[in-house]
Amino acid sequence: MIETKELKKTYKQGSLKVKAVDNVNLKISDGEFTAIVGPSGSGKTTLLNCIGGLDNPTSGKVIIDGELISSYSSNQMIKFRLNNIGFVFQSYNLIPVLTAKENIEMVMLMQGYNKKDMEKRSSDLLNEVGMGDMSKRRPSELSGGQQQRVAVARSLASKPKFILADEPTANLDSKSTAKLLDIMSRLNKQEKITFVFSTHDQRVIDRARRVVTLEDGKIIKDIKK
Amino acid sequence: MRLITLIKIGWRNIWRNKKRSLVVILSIILGLYGGLIISSLMITLNSQRMNTAINTYLADIQIHNKEFSKEYSLSDTISNIHYLEEKLKNDNRVKSYSKRTVINGMLSNSTGSYGVNVLGIDPEFEIKVTNVYTKIIEGDYFESKRENTMVVGKKLADKLDLRLRSKVVITFQDVNGDITSLLFRIEGIFKSGNSMFDDYNVFVKNNSIFSNLPDLNGYHEIPILTINDDVTESLKLDLQKINNTLDVKFWGDIAVELAYANKMMSSFLYIFMLIVLSGLSFGIINTMLMAILERKKEIGMLMSIGMSKNYIFLMICLETVFLSLVAIPFSVLITYITIDYFSVSGIDLSIVGSGLENFGIGTILYLKLPSEYYFNLSLLVILISFISSMFPAIRALKINPAEATKSI
Repeated sequence: MIETKELKKTYKQGSLKVKAVDNVNLKISDGEFTAIVGPSGSGKTTLLNCIGGLDNPTSGKVIIDGELISSYSSNQMIKFRLNNIGFVFQSYNLIPVLTAKENIEMVMLMQGYNKKDMEKRSSDLLNEVGMGDMSKRRPSELSGGQQQRVAVARSLASKPKFILADEPTANLDSKSTAKLLDIMSRLNKQEKITFVFSTHDQRVIDRARRVVTLEDGKIIKDIKK
Repeated sequence: MRLITLIKIGWRNIWRNKKRSLVVILSIILGLYGGLIISSLMITLNSQRMNTAINTYLADIQIHNKEFSKEYSLSDTISNIHYLEEKLKNDNRVKSYSKRTVINGMLSNSTGSYGVNVLGIDPEFEIKVTNVYTKIIEGDYFESKRENTMVVGKKLADKLDLRLRSKVVITFQDVNGDITSLLFRIEGIFKSGNSMFDDYNVFVKNNSIFSNLPDLNGYHEIPILTINDDVTESLKLDLQKINNTLDVKFWGDIAVELAYANKMMSSFLYIFMLIVLSGLSFGIINTMLMAILERKKEIGMLMSIGMSKNYIFLMICLETVFLSLVAIPFSVLITYITIDYFSVSGIDLSIVGSGLENFGIGTILYLKLPSEYYFNLSLLVILISFISSMFPAIRALKINPAEATKSI
């Protein structure tokens, strides 16, 4: 379970203090398929960054499965992210010099997988996202939708507790978006993987089973479908 | 994470921007090439200077009477020389030796006078030790049956307007302390490649000395060539034990400045290379910083998904070191080819020949470079690359993953 308690994140813009996240209390249970929505500047990304340990909150707590991760050191946080959180980025962020398969295997290498297990798992994951026949292609040889599917497979490689996805469909056409959402939805239902999106894509919002709406850093609506 | 993965990523990363990497590689190639060639030139110049001195006069070891080394008095000859010669003849570390009389005097003719060092030699022995006989540019090296002939250096000949068969008078203090003058005729003029030597030293036959100085009863100097440098030290020690009146010296003890220059050379070269490569390191730092700024998002992503700071640091270092590892073989190869070519054909520096001769260096340089220089300077390049990678690598660690990825 992901839990935030009175979470605040304040940025300084010159002499002004901007409250990007303002006193957010949120609980996301295992197996949820949650979309965090809101207009630009509402604090969606900052909230996800704090949950994923990429940003330190100004005050408040982030608790994951009972562990207070907001008190972790930088190195502890890197290790925690490696073993517990999968990330899907808006612009895919695959390593351009590695093939699709190698991009996935890199996470497992960091975790210390042996070669045999790693190869099997990376092949399984690529098949899972429908990219099994493109395992040897580099990112530059793949379309945006295909790259994002590889990115989803990469986020799953470390067997994370949950996946944080920031606007994962923002750069995709409708066909690729539908395919990606099908994959993530299936993984959520079959594998019980928790997905948390930040998005303002109506297609994602329509498929989400819970929609948390942020405005000026505050939760103004939390609807479970 | 396996090192092999980091190596793979690092290696592929350097080829992402081929043009930029090739510029850095080319600059390393040229930097190292320049350094190796300059090292080779310095080593060759130094060794040629050393060899000229050893081959024209010094030899590997010289023996004198201890007193002669202090006062240069004609009466201080080497005692018990027959026993010493017997030892030298039977020692297989000795390649050849000669016997010299040495007189400091004044050489005069109608043009003027000049202080000289007169070396009395037995030509048939001397040619086995020194090579002045190969440096004769006019006349002969004691082929005349005449007594009282002299071979002088080109520089001295020019100064005193000496020509073949010119008469000169040597004036000096004899064994009894009386001023004595001897008349000689110029038989040959040599040019050794060291104008200072040519200016000060003249050769005459020992017979001429002994026939004119009946009170002189021995030799002052025995120059010895050894079969190789490795045995020189042990031979010197053994010869010293023969007789405690002997002053046995290694060539470096006689020509201290030459030995010192030789010792200083390698330290100087490494310092010089360090300065050259330090300049190069700024180019490497600049390139790697650009590469990191370009890949800020990617590095942020790697941090986000859990790559430790140590691995990111190592990845950047590896990329930098790879640039030098690509460059080094090319540098070494073109240096080897260049040196190999000029070791045979030589570099003609006759345009600055007179300047070089003042330092005892010939005008044709036959390049050489000991193999350890290839190895050590290549290692130095890798070390400099590694140090250069520190700054970009530290910069990479300061990337904030949240900002770099602009989203999660």
